[in-house]
Amino acid sequence: MFAKLALKSLLNRKGSVFLTVIAMSVSVFALLAVDHIRSQTKDSFHSTVSGIDLIVGARTGSLNLLLYSVFRIGNPTNNIDWSTYKSVAANPKVAWAIPMSLGDSHRGYRVVGTTQDYFEHFSFGKKQTLDFDTGRPFAEVFDVVLGSEVAKKLNYTLGTNIVLAHGLGKTSFSLHDDNPFTVVGILKPSGTPVDQSLQVSLHGMEAIHNPRQPATKLMEQPLSAGQSTQVLFEPEKITAFMLGLNSRLATFNVQREINTYSREPLSAILPGVALSELWQMMSVLENTLRLISGLILVAALLGLTAMMLASVRERQREIYLLRVIGAPPIFLFLLIELEAIWVSGISILIGAAGLSLSLMIAQDFLAANYGLHIDANIFSQGTLHYALLVMGATAFAAAIPALAVYRSAKIS
Amino acid sequence: MTIELKDVVFSYPETPDKSVLNIQSWAVSSHQRVFVHGPSGGGKSTLLNVLSGIIRPVAGELTMLSQRLDQMTNRQLDRFRANHIGYIFQQFNLIPYLNAVDNIRLANQFSKTIPQAELHANIIDLLTTFGLDETDRDRPTEKLSIGQQQRIAIARALINKPEILIADEPTSSLDKTNRDVFMSELHAMVSETKTTLLFVSHDLSLSDSFDRVDSLADINTAERAY
Repeated sequence: MFAKLALKSLLNRKGSVFLTVIAMSVSVFALLAVDHIRSQTKDSFHSTVSGIDLIVGARTGSLNLLLYSVFRIGNPTNNIDWSTYKSVAANPKVAWAIPMSLGDSHRGYRVVGTTQDYFEHFSFGKKQTLDFDTGRPFAEVFDVVLGSEVAKKLNYTLGTNIVLAHGLGKTSFSLHDDNPFTVVGILKPSGTPVDQSLQVSLHGMEAIHNPRQPATKLMEQPLSAGQSTQVLFEPEKITAFMLGLNSRLATFNVQREINTYSREPLSAILPGVALSELWQMMSVLENTLRLISGLILVAALLGLTAMMLASVRERQREIYLLRVIGAPPIFLFLLIELEAIWVSGISILIGAAGLSLSLMIAQDFLAANYGLHIDANIFSQGTLHYALLVMGATAFAAAIPALAVYRSAKIS
Repeated sequence: MTIELKDVVFSYPETPDKSVLNIQSWAVSSHQRVFVHGPSGGGKSTLLNVLSGIIRPVAGELTMLSQRLDQMTNRQLDRFRANHIGYIFQQFNLIPYLNAVDNIRLANQFSKTIPQAELHANIIDLLTTFGLDETDRDRPTEKLSIGQQQRIAIARALINKPEILIADEPTSSLDKTNRDVFMSELHAMVSETKTTLLFVSHDLSLSDSFDRVDSLADINTAERAY
């Protein structure tokens, strides 16, 4: 009866309650969005670099190297000689190496030139390797393996012929249309930037950038027995490479060796350390966003308090009636508190549902444009904590009108 | 005696020297139906608020059903009011957004004199007695006529089987037909339940069926100051 009375009382004041619920929902939306996107971004980034000991690129800042090589955000500053890569990969402390050549795209999705080692050693999440949904890794020069999102969004299947474009824009005027690629494999979703990428062999990458003569002409040349067409397109430069070491203990040793490599300036970074630097930089922004969303909540709660105070003045007869039929002052205090909690609870539901829906809609955009894989399911322990925080803050804010009612109801 | 007042004085805290109520002696016997009349501003509402324990007298003895209300704690007063007193106003008797059943149920919320299992049946019985259609029971009371609302108000006031029923100008917003229906239903119900009735009104034409008619001017000596 108590909860019903509070709810019906709110329904009786639909107009002002509706506006308060909207204000509270917006504040809950902002509060949950900041926290969810922050934690999801961290999880997404951490899971993407699982199992990689070092990332090596041309001399640059560690964050830039991490972002362009792993998360496909930003652009490389320079390339590395293929001979340098071979030299580092031959180091006995190195267990595996994955070279990467970046810079091309297909309809806005980035193309990664790499080797078979990519499918064998690249891992994400809890040391999971890339799995094929259909098809196989690339074997020929013009084979391409698609990330799950690319195949889904562009509706590509095995055997589809596609043309890569020079540069990273969605619209390019420099197409490699004389060398089309054929889809030979589609990967299973990994929740990493791999889903948004197209993987081709380094030879394929070299073939479409060959300035001497069209690749198709070169491939018409006779090859000796057992020789693949790939030998015709030995890469000269790559963008970066990832390393897995035989022993973690050797990490700093190998990093120092690479950073002091005499034949060309290189940067070797530990992805975990670079990520920590990133979070440190982001913490100022995070705190600012938290502060803003906190202030929005405070503003909404002040609105709620004002609405409740106004309603108390309008409901003097109702309060008197409740007193006459025996309602003690504490009942009236709790009634006002419960009404505020109802408003808060409904606002939390609307805010949370709105955020889930928005993320569902923006999920692809965030993944394609920012490499952020944000789950639309926002329900976690953190969400529960925020919901309780909002409820608690609401109870505190509603104490002002509730105390006003309590005081006026006390027998004098 | 059901109600007994002795040297009861009430004044507002803002004007402690100016008493609004000053009753030297006044009593109402069990099952008596008493009509109290007086002009507006004569202290009628103050007297009813004191009797129902909404406000406390600053001096004097107030005894109801052999219990000293002036010596009770606030909590005891709330409980006493819920368990022993039914109240009908001239208007705003009901929570407008609740239906008739919920309005009556709410009155039992603070009394709990009727077991939950029997409550709904009792409410329906009362509403049927007062001639409220089944379709009107579930409508918010603000959608009902004033006459229907006043009849629900009697039902609400009687649901906890109170020993005392206080009615504060309950017919002032009713037309003649509804007023006559209301008065006859009220008297019938009070007789049946043997409830002590304290009926306050300025309309002396309603005083015919009462056991006793008192003028507030005779009871309240403070009234003369107005």
